[in-house]
Amino acid sequence: MTLLDVKNLSISYQTRGGPLQAVEDISFALDKGKTLGFVGESGCGKSTIGLALMGLLPPNTTVTSGSVRFNGSDLLSLSEEKLRQVRWQKIAMIFQAAMNALNPVHRVSDQVAEAILAHTPGISKTDALAQVRELFDLVEIPIKRMNDYPHQYSGGMKQRAVIAMALACRPDLIIADEPTTALDVIVQAQILDEIKSIQKELNLGILFISHDISVVADVCDHIGVMYAGQLVEYGHRREVFESPGHPYTQELVGSHQALLGAQCQPQSAPSAAPNLLSPPPGCRYCDRCKEGGDTCRTEAPQWIELSDNHRIFCCHRDPEE
Amino acid sequence: MELNKYILRRLIEITVIFFVILTVLFLLFRLAPGDPVSRMVDPSMTAEDARRLIEQLGLDQPLGTQYIIYLKSFFSGDLGISFHYGVPVLDIIGERLPNTILLFTTSVILAALTGIFFGKIASWHKGKKIDSWLTIGALICHTLFLPWLALIIIWFFGYRIGWFPLNGILSPEIWTDPANGFFIRMLDVLHHMALPLMTLFIIHFGSYLLVMRSSMLETLKEDYIITARAKGLEEKVIRNHHAAPNAALPVVTSVALSLAFSINGGALTETVFSWPGIGRELVFAVSNNDYPLALASFLLIAIVVLLANLLVDILYAWLDPRIRY
Repeated sequence: MTLLDVKNLSISYQTRGGPLQAVEDISFALDKGKTLGFVGESGCGKSTIGLALMGLLPPNTTVTSGSVRFNGSDLLSLSEEKLRQVRWQKIAMIFQAAMNALNPVHRVSDQVAEAILAHTPGISKTDALAQVRELFDLVEIPIKRMNDYPHQYSGGMKQRAVIAMALACRPDLIIADEPTTALDVIVQAQILDEIKSIQKELNLGILFISHDISVVADVCDHIGVMYAGQLVEYGHRREVFESPGHPYTQELVGSHQALLGAQCQPQSAPSAAPNLLSPPPGCRYCDRCKEGGDTCRTEAPQWIELSDNHRIFCCHRDPEE
Repeated sequence: MELNKYILRRLIEITVIFFVILTVLFLLFRLAPGDPVSRMVDPSMTAEDARRLIEQLGLDQPLGTQYIIYLKSFFSGDLGISFHYGVPVLDIIGERLPNTILLFTTSVILAALTGIFFGKIASWHKGKKIDSWLTIGALICHTLFLPWLALIIIWFFGYRIGWFPLNGILSPEIWTDPANGFFIRMLDVLHHMALPLMTLFIIHFGSYLLVMRSSMLETLKEDYIITARAKGLEEKVIRNHHAAPNAALPVVTSVALSLAFSINGGALTETVFSWPGIGRELVFAVSNNDYPLALASFLLIAIVVLLANLLVDILYAWLDPRIRY
């Protein structure tokens, strides 16, 4: 069953230099209980998608086109009050930089309880706190640390608390924006395992945003690769990770494997991503692409189906190849 | 527990600092120009009488001896007798200090609450009309010259429309009439307090508003505000429960410190409104070489400033759980 269906979503930021197309023509779908991962370098627009789904885009931002259907209803046309009710109750978020996602002057338990109190009419504070206790059990935070303040927690504990908070209202969808980036690899692995097991238990849909393709390949069913505001490759995890089609994905996967194999130096990008105020007419990746020819600079890339479940946005690669 | 230990440590520090101030003040007053006796004696007094008076006051003793006497009498609670009034300094302070505290505490707290409230509103509507008006208004209030403002207020409210008395703290006819109860007497004081209160309120209000506004704008950029919004909390809750408590911290410092400096800083207001407070007494004591009274007033300022700093630290620890000593 389709939980989230996004079609042709474009988002632009109003800047002093004119409108900046942060997200362009992105389509994807997510089924209940599944995980979709977006991977790409910083500034590629992946966090903007997450904020757009929550209706939390900054005021200088507009959704210029596209539709977002969540459980059958159009999220983009909801009133502010309706949207407020959807937030956290239906779609919750695990934030990038969980370190700062908790308010320093309130107790952690109160901050989690607050989400429950805001969305459960008539519930008492005691009952809400009882639920918080269960949540903390679920994410393995010692109950005696419940009433601490955020600064008394370690990085991993804060991240767990933020996850507990995201689960507070039993949402259908969780947007996890770089949930483990600030953590060391051991804690990262623990947290990812926890997310996976909780997902299975609660049948959660997860939109996982990360710059680390190995993390995305580890937790996600499907992977979308983003570059300069566009989706450049989309497909099943195994296909994307094991036989990447787009030159950018190949480079991402290659640099990861280079780190694992340790024989060659990880390849670095030869130049920066294009300026999105005035994007080049052709493929945005062509300056960094090793395979592209002259036509890539002038011709707009096309979607090419590599298999039923795997497509790339590229212009030099013929489908017959 | 840690907080108690911290307070104890601070109290010890404060005692040491206070002792230093006590000594410095003693020396300052011996070095000050002018002869106290010449001010208090009758010109017709003979040289013999004047000498006797100096002896009586202990001013002929060597500096060291004077210092010992000074410390001894200070710690036995004797701050001396005012040269000018001829009554114990402690009595004068006891009579004047409550007036100052009444006026300044009320005005600073009122101004802080209003400033915090409107600063919050202004930052919340940043860039909109209401923000511009509040900010401009606050800037104007903040830059006004106090004696000028006080005179304008007296002229308008006291003279032109005549709603409030021009100066003083009470009307003798109301206080001497035994038929008037406590309530009517207090009402009379409030009536007298209205104009100085208004003046101080306007002067302080602007700076609190500006501090709160900029602090709140910083806070609103924090990630936990996005979290609160994502949690689907109402805007009012986000503003009052998540942003304001964090943003109000700098205002707390500002409030406690202006309370501390109200004793000396209040001299202008108290003079313009003939408010019988400690600030006006201090200026009077200094210009009349009334050593005991001036000295006691300075000590009082030192005590209040030290205690206000302690209060800020304790308040901070209470408001912000990250701060532990």
